[in-house]
Amino acid sequence: MVHISDGILSFQVLAFGWIVTLLLIALTLWWSKRKGSIAEKIPKLSVVTAAFFVASLIHIPVGPTSVHLILNGLVGIMLGTLSYPAIFIGLILQAFLFGHGGVTVIGINAMDMGIPALIAYSIFRIRQSPLFGAIAGGVAVTLAVLLTAAVLLTLGESYVWVVRALIIYHIPIIVIESLIAASVVAFLSKVKPELLGGGK
Amino acid sequence: MRKIFIFIIFMVLFLNPIAEAHRLHVVYKISEVEIQAYYGGNIPCRDAKVKIYDANGLYLEGTTDKEGKFRFPPKVGVNTYKVVVEAVHMPGHKAEVTINLTKSVYTQETPLYQNIIAGFGYLIGLAGIAMVYLGWKKGKND
Repeated sequence: MVHISDGILSFQVLAFGWIVTLLLIALTLWWSKRKGSIAEKIPKLSVVTAAFFVASLIHIPVGPTSVHLILNGLVGIMLGTLSYPAIFIGLILQAFLFGHGGVTVIGINAMDMGIPALIAYSIFRIRQSPLFGAIAGGVAVTLAVLLTAAVLLTLGESYVWVVRALIIYHIPIIVIESLIAASVVAFLSKVKPELLGGGK
Repeated sequence: MRKIFIFIIFMVLFLNPIAEAHRLHVVYKISEVEIQAYYGGNIPCRDAKVKIYDANGLYLEGTTDKEGKFRFPPKVGVNTYKVVVEAVHMPGHKAEVTINLTKSVYTQETPLYQNIIAGFGYLIGLAGIAMVYLGWKKGKND
């Protein structure tokens, strides 16, 4: 649950989130276009975004609360630089249809999940193997939680202990998403390797 | 003697506590309003901070129980309250609702599957628009 709700963060933080997100969308779209036609990737883009959109409904009870899948690492592995716009669209749908995360916070939430997705992609590019897939998947969730924690810490010292809880509760998700990423990479690299990375 | 007899009958009929017990009393006390906080998928949001506001500002504060429930006594004559719930175990989660006591139950949920289908619909629509746009651009360049 790294989706922050409306009415928690300050205006400056929200504005910062939107500016960074819009810049990153422009940058990642430009970069993806330079590497090849986006048109050919649209079917894959839609399917992966749909998976990201519904993944947040899969809850796992942890301690006194529950956490859900994020799948930002897998999105990064499969979409490459296009993962940032995909996560942005997925978050808009989650906010309006599921009430996951606020609307004014979409900028910040996209940063928290999208930047780790881009990092996951660069990890996966080092070597396209299930092991690196697992690392990318795990690192993406870890970074998403840490970024969310960092954003919440702008609210003040009183948030320190809650942030610690946020990190601890996400450990199962980190493990699960590593396994998901590894198995998807293992499967796709046999069946349709061009689906991985920024390919079609 | 007869007078006494009538008096006794009178006593038995009208002052007997059993006769009195047939008078039906209805009293009432409105003691609480129950709110419940939960995450999507019906997972209760326990130990969350609850703040109840009325027209004059903050009225009550408390925390939700294991089932994500919190109960508070309403003020006489005050029908509208704003309830703000902030999750503790999942920081960054906050929701609010305005309670109107003239309506007994408040839910705002549409079934989850409808929202999922709606989401897929939007994505297919977006993909379609993007393809039309890119196709049009390609046609212009050729």
